[in-house]
Amino acid sequence: MVIAASLLAAAASAQTTWLDRLDESLSVQSANGFFRSDLSGLLDLEGYFIDQRPPGLIYGNQDLFNPRLSLFLDTRIGPHVYSLVQARFDRGFDPGNHRGGRAGLDEYLLRYTPFADARLNLQAGRFATVVGNWVKRHDSWNNPFINAPVPYENVTILTDHAAPASPTQFLNRRSVPDRKEIWLSTIWGPSYATGASVFGSIERFDYAAEIKNSSLSSRHHAWNPVHVGWSDPTVSARLGYRPGAAWNAGASFSYGTYFLPEARTSLPSGKRLSDFNQITFGCDLSYAWRHWQFWGEIFATRFQVPNVGDADTAAYYLEAKYKLSPRVFTSFRWNQQFFGKVNDGRGGEQTWDHDLWRIETALGYRFDRHLQGKLQYSYSHQQGAFQQGEQLVAAQVTLKF
Amino acid sequence: MLSAQKLLCLLGAIASTLTISAADSVIEGTVTLLSPKADAVAAARYQTSSGKKIGKPDAPVAVIFLEGNFTEAQTGASAAAQMGQTNFQFTPGILVVRKGTTVEFPNFDDDYHNVFSYSKTKRFDLGRYRKGEKPASLLFDQRGVINLRCEIHEHMRGTILVLDTPHFSKTGTNGTYRLERLPAGKFTLKCWRDEKNVAERLVEIKPSETLKIDWPAP
Repeated sequence: MVIAASLLAAAASAQTTWLDRLDESLSVQSANGFFRSDLSGLLDLEGYFIDQRPPGLIYGNQDLFNPRLSLFLDTRIGPHVYSLVQARFDRGFDPGNHRGGRAGLDEYLLRYTPFADARLNLQAGRFATVVGNWVKRHDSWNNPFINAPVPYENVTILTDHAAPASPTQFLNRRSVPDRKEIWLSTIWGPSYATGASVFGSIERFDYAAEIKNSSLSSRHHAWNPVHVGWSDPTVSARLGYRPGAAWNAGASFSYGTYFLPEARTSLPSGKRLSDFNQITFGCDLSYAWRHWQFWGEIFATRFQVPNVGDADTAAYYLEAKYKLSPRVFTSFRWNQQFFGKVNDGRGGEQTWDHDLWRIETALGYRFDRHLQGKLQYSYSHQQGAFQQGEQLVAAQVTLKF
Repeated sequence: MLSAQKLLCLLGAIASTLTISAADSVIEGTVTLLSPKADAVAAARYQTSSGKKIGKPDAPVAVIFLEGNFTEAQTGASAAAQMGQTNFQFTPGILVVRKGTTVEFPNFDDDYHNVFSYSKTKRFDLGRYRKGEKPASLLFDQRGVINLRCEIHEHMRGTILVLDTPHFSKTGTNGTYRLERLPAGKFTLKCWRDEKNVAERLVEIKPSETLKIDWPAP
């Protein structure tokens, strides 16, 4: 990994002009400029060095090398129509969950903006959620870290595959390591589910609402409309306020079932998927000034769990980035997640998962406009009999074109 | 017979006349400019990052300048210059200054800008600053090209060209230029369209002469 990064750095340094030319040449447009399409990409080489079971949405139980190529096709047709296609080639949407390699379209959307200003936009396709403020910086070039904040990646004991038979069976999951292939996080990364949205900006206010085929916690398999249709959709919205250039505040809401269609047979008699929802309220705040940037988000979520009741959780993080020089930046993040109590089936109540805190720091270096390196260290602690990913060291090199 | 004092005065007057005429020459002509680059699709992938009215970037121009052995007094810094940001574009698109000039980067938009350069001539990152806020002014004390970007608005492109000659001119958007008050002598005349398109030719300027030099497409 280090050798690859060094070689890449040397090569990119020598080829900056070539990459600049490539940047300029990866576009097509009509003679009058009415149509224009730009191809761009991110090539990531990531390594995860894990002291035990990996945290969050990192799969496997050993050190991991995770290359990824993301290609973006931004197209504008006249002043009113825009589209985006994002294709990815990697070893799984989440690091290591498809070690044999995978290629797929993560995002594809068509947007219509009827007016000259941004008061109204209509969009359909498969795209990142409107909830929260992390989506804007979730790609490897803009994310000061290598992983996502805890609300977007900490796996809980909830599953979308089947209803638990009893509170005991549900709570017993706490004593085994995360089964990441079937359990859910509160919000699954950028949540590229499929549907339609309306959004816009009016003076200092932003609004956005979307209706999609799966919930915020749904895994990438469920975002695909071939696997999950819109019979039990999720509705989400965000209202934002920008008092000035420095501040951006928002409140989000999401409501919809988190079960996959195949879970229907495991539900209690007479119940439907739409009786069991994920309900999320979120607040986000960001501030920037000179070389400082700060972000914070808090989410309160209720999962309606068959045969158990309401399982509540709250998660938040505070994140700061500071540019030490034109090329060097450092970042710091503090995350926590708390779990509420549910009926344990024996007349008492127990917290339904292990509370967790995580502290993270990262150092980044931009060699030029095309090459960036990041090194991250995370320390996590959960209130349980065992730890998952107590210490994580991750390194990432990104080539942008 | 002329006295020595009168002779010195006469020689001084002749020298003065020669100096005036030597700085009275002109080079003018037309540059075939590069085609305008099409506007990149502004990255508006995610809802909360859209909504800004983006202006057109400045039309392409070229810079014509004379290179030679000019004294430091002649090449001294220009008055402080500005590279502003208006309608989410750099204004002007190309700023030409003499070595040693201080440049300010005022933001005239309602959103933040974060101007930076990774160019070897001058690496800097001004951080985020808003309209009315005064970011650091920077001294450009090395000749060369500085490519400017905004970290927040990826489509923005700007250039600062730092020269160590007092004789330069930007063409109009129709490609015409005129360099005035040029000294007599042999020099290299350069036509800078962008970093990859720099043409040059040797010129001999005679006192009070007007040279016409056109620069065809590269």
